[in-house]
Amino acid sequence: MEKIKAGLNSFGKAIAGFFKEFGEAVVKGDIFVKLSLLWMGAGYVRRKQYIKAILITIFQIAVLAFTFGFAMEYVSKFGTLGTVRQESVFNIQTMKNEFNDYDHSFLILLISLITFVIWIVAIVAYFGNVISVYHLQKRAQQGLHINTFREDVHELINKKFHVTLLFLPVMGIVIFTIIPLLVMILVAFTNYDQHHMPPSELFTWTGITNFINLFGGGGMTITFGYAFVRVLAWTLVWAFFSTLTTYIGGILLSMLINNKKTKLPKMWRTLFIVTIAVPQFVSLLLVRNFFADGGIMNTICANIGLTGWLRDIGLISTSYIPFLSAPIWAHVMIILINIWIGVPYQMLIATGVLMNIPGEQLESARIDGATPRQIFWNITMPYMLFVTGPSLVTDFVKNINNFNVIYLLTTGVFVTTNQAMANSQAKETDLLVTWLFTLTQDYYNYKMASTIGIVVFVICAAFTLLAFNRMIKGDREEAFQ
Amino acid sequence: MKTKKLVNITLHNLLLAFLAFIWLIPIVWLLVTSFSAYTGMNTSTFFPKEWSLNNYKNLLFSADSVAQFPNWFKNTFIIACCSCLISSSFVLMVAYATSCMRFKMRKPLMNMAVILNLFPGFLSMIAVYFILKTLNLTNNHLGLILVYSASSGLGYLIAKGFLDTVPASLREAAYLDGASEAVIFLKVVMPMSKPIIVYTVISSFLAPWMDFVFAKIILNAGISSQWTVAIGLYNMLERSLINTYFTQFCAGGVLVSIPISVLFVIMQKFYVEGITGGSVKG
Amino acid sequence: MKKKLLAALLTASMVATMLVGCGGSAEEAAPSTDAAQTETKTEETKTEAAETAPAEKQDVALRMWGAEEDQAMLQSMIDSFVANYADVANITVELGVESESTAKDVVLTDIEAAADVYAFASDQLPDLVKAGALQNIDEMDGALQAYAGKGVADVKSANASGSVDAATANGSLYAFPMSADNGYFLYYDSSVISAEDAKSWDTLLAAAEAGGKKVGMTFASGWYNASFFYGAGFTTGLNEDGTTSLDFNGSADYTGVEVVKGMLGIAGHPAFMAIADGDISNQIAGGSLAAVVSGTWDASAAQTAFGDGYAATKLPTYTIGDAQVQQGSVAGFKLVGVNAYSQNAGWAALLADWITNEDNQKIRFAEREIGPSNINAAASEEVAANIAISALAEQSAYGVVQVVGGNYWDPTSTFGEMIAKGELSADDEAGIQTALDNMVAGVTAPVQ
Repeated sequence: MEKIKAGLNSFGKAIAGFFKEFGEAVVKGDIFVKLSLLWMGAGYVRRKQYIKAILITIFQIAVLAFTFGFAMEYVSKFGTLGTVRQESVFNIQTMKNEFNDYDHSFLILLISLITFVIWIVAIVAYFGNVISVYHLQKRAQQGLHINTFREDVHELINKKFHVTLLFLPVMGIVIFTIIPLLVMILVAFTNYDQHHMPPSELFTWTGITNFINLFGGGGMTITFGYAFVRVLAWTLVWAFFSTLTTYIGGILLSMLINNKKTKLPKMWRTLFIVTIAVPQFVSLLLVRNFFADGGIMNTICANIGLTGWLRDIGLISTSYIPFLSAPIWAHVMIILINIWIGVPYQMLIATGVLMNIPGEQLESARIDGATPRQIFWNITMPYMLFVTGPSLVTDFVKNINNFNVIYLLTTGVFVTTNQAMANSQAKETDLLVTWLFTLTQDYYNYKMASTIGIVVFVICAAFTLLAFNRMIKGDREEAFQ
Repeated sequence: MKTKKLVNITLHNLLLAFLAFIWLIPIVWLLVTSFSAYTGMNTSTFFPKEWSLNNYKNLLFSADSVAQFPNWFKNTFIIACCSCLISSSFVLMVAYATSCMRFKMRKPLMNMAVILNLFPGFLSMIAVYFILKTLNLTNNHLGLILVYSASSGLGYLIAKGFLDTVPASLREAAYLDGASEAVIFLKVVMPMSKPIIVYTVISSFLAPWMDFVFAKIILNAGISSQWTVAIGLYNMLERSLINTYFTQFCAGGVLVSIPISVLFVIMQKFYVEGITGGSVKG
Repeated sequence: MKKKLLAALLTASMVATMLVGCGGSAEEAAPSTDAAQTETKTEETKTEAAETAPAEKQDVALRMWGAEEDQAMLQSMIDSFVANYADVANITVELGVESESTAKDVVLTDIEAAADVYAFASDQLPDLVKAGALQNIDEMDGALQAYAGKGVADVKSANASGSVDAATANGSLYAFPMSADNGYFLYYDSSVISAEDAKSWDTLLAAAEAGGKKVGMTFASGWYNASFFYGAGFTTGLNEDGTTSLDFNGSADYTGVEVVKGMLGIAGHPAFMAIADGDISNQIAGGSLAAVVSGTWDASAAQTAFGDGYAATKLPTYTIGDAQVQQGSVAGFKLVGVNAYSQNAGWAALLADWITNEDNQKIRFAEREIGPSNINAAASEEVAANIAISALAEQSAYGVVQVVGGNYWDPTSTFGEMIAKGELSADDEAGIQTALDNMVAGVTAPVQ
């Protein structure tokens, strides 16, 4: 918490400093600096940086043209998300439908947000520009050297190389991650669902109704709260066990393979890796059919009498073993199948880490007469944990959002018998992420999906912050360099 | 003593063989099903009753409106290569900037990345679709490449961890020789980072072969020759198609995994070094 | 500060590219027009060169979606359509792949980008109409009169009344019926089960047990398990506000509890096998079944599995108390609709009509054994000789057009699963009633 507070503090200070500098520039700047408030290129022309002046002018014109030529039409409707419903009249002469100029709520939301982002960038650039021009003025007054354009460009591959490096990746992240995320966060505060689907219908702001429905609700009609708690519990259980089992399994397998007694270790490793290479939607689908109610595994179990025995002792009530169709069975099987999927990966990682264990340490332990078990628990495991701790946390978060395994193993196979769950389109095996996938893909319930998504995010964020702060004490990166 | 050791070794290897057996059952099943003469899904017996090469023959040489495997393979290969090129460079660029350079926004940007990684990506699928549509990039392989690679910078952590292990003294020496930061990045650090380059290349190369959700939404014009392998194969599981195409689906799965396995086996050493070098110091 | 400036500069170029992109798309109303316009241009140059075409001839570009396996057949239908209208318009049709069973998902993601004409299963109609994705065909009457020489009334009278009902919403026709094969009936192996045994569930199950085989049906789906309720006179429907109306917890000819007890009697029989929705084909191929409830899409699988014994008939009767009640079913159809956002709605309607007219339904049956919805096409001897399609026709007398909203599916499949898993007991009437009430509450709930 303190870290966050400190972060916020320093962030606030940085912003305050930025504005202070801007104020100083406006007050103390010469006429050209002040002219820069209107025409961003003015200051550079004064300092003979003509190319820069042209570029920044293009930028200014582009932003203005974008704003007034395109964006305003959408941004002005941001408050209502559109009011004009689509209507059309068929014209027999042209054989075409003639549409009115209708509003598309989602596009209004999306383009408004893009515009906001562009505006923020433009405003920062605008203030920054004035400050930068003022700095040029100061340099000129002090008689210092003012960079030519060529020198500026040279900076970009030297001191300012990080700007060059980061520009495109950050651009990509902003456009393809941040803006979509902001849009979906906003959707959680609207009534965007199957009855309010653009382009034919409009949706609008509804405040926090969706959050109330998620946590409040009641009876058998609104069961999101009920389902949410159960889905969340299973999500956490799944994330914990799937991370733990594959992690330990990976270590054990790699130790088994790297043992001196193993003949042809490379061949064994390759055999296990082959399972990674088959796309999951192929391999998991096969596994699902393998364990289906009428699948091969059930045929085998019935033939060897296992099914009958299980029925006799009361573990199952059906004529087959419901490997993937009864809640508890399915939960266990999913974790077991995930071991099959995940262990080869972890084995690769563990192999690498184990090779790095300082040899002397192991040697001296052996001389002291430690048993292999003692060595494993006292030397190998602590080392592994120390080294792979952070990646364990990221694995956990990845498993919370692990879509493939659950979706491919349970869709169309597992049907819940819990009516309260069914009434909110959830099932016992659903993770939060698969639940919201169903909600958006099959039920177009974007508003609830977004609401759930935000809650998932808050949980993940809380966990990661906690865990990271525990695991990484201080900043380790400097120590290694 | 010697026999005991021999027994020990045999047991040890038998255990491994047993594990490998379990791990390979589904793979073997995939393989034998792909050679089945029956076209639907056979869940009652492990091995097919009749064997045939027809699935591969149909898949590779007689494309019909349902199965256009050669086209799909070509599309996916191009998409995978392009997106792997873009994502690898993005990842390495971000990794270098965050690992080897010090600037004011470094920490805030890194924290931002941690938070962004937590958000469930599916949620924003529809928004991504409309952004691509606004840019006129839906039903376009370029759009798909962007989806796979544009945000790849977020996955920089492992690569950064690896670059953290490259001794700073090397870079300092290069500085003193008057090399620019760009030259150090390309000529000093990159040649030393082969394992992590291989790692990023492999992981970003794989995504287009596996993804059947995003691709389906973005390539929504129904032109099946534009599809990627994953949508094409997944589509064969439709209720009306599965009876005629299931074994071809398996054959497709085998054909996809062959190049990937080869890639993995060849690059195994680098891959391991890359991921551990990264996570060790992650 | 130069850093920020340079960042700003680079952003400017990015914004400029974005402007180009946005400006481009703002000019066109929908992406399909882009293709249309370019195609139009090339067409124009062609006609100029030819100098023969009349000046007022319209250039029309359409896109159409159909099932994967029908592509070749659809292409030949398109060719005949284009040829038929060659003297009134220059039509180009781009054919795409979209399975009828998933058309809704793709269309609703972005209606404006969907094809002008697309085929879909009739259970998707309420959602598609609700989302405004389908053109009201009644409005197209003029276009049909002018160019196809028939009106909407003719389309309605040419097709079986059930198929027209399934294509109708709020009193208007929203799609052209294409086929009448999307329902279910009983396949059986006549070497194990006699035609007489197949008449009721009791004798059917007994015969299967005697033959050491099983009878399969999907319980965990509201599409299948509603058949028992429909048989007992229950109904489903869609309200004005988009919620589903359902009265399975009340009473019709029998009470809902009695129907459930009948279902439990079937599900509890040792020779009964509840099959997951997507697993039916595998189970048929697996060879342990002597009879199964499924549709025409499994005809070839059933034919292979049952061999010479391959037979099909209407669904059997089931027992309520002392009475035998005929099991109902969902009458499902494949329909062809016109996108409400089509740029050439008139021509799209003509194309949709063309590929569903009598001749093309005959072709569809001849090439792909797809049961026609057209009354004349269905009357042919070949259709009557087809075992699966005639069984479906036999069942259609008891078929109900199922019009339900999205909230219908999950609660009903859960209810079916509870019966299949034996979680309800026939003795516990209160428990059954509670379960029915819960299901109805979930189905009729407003969308949250």
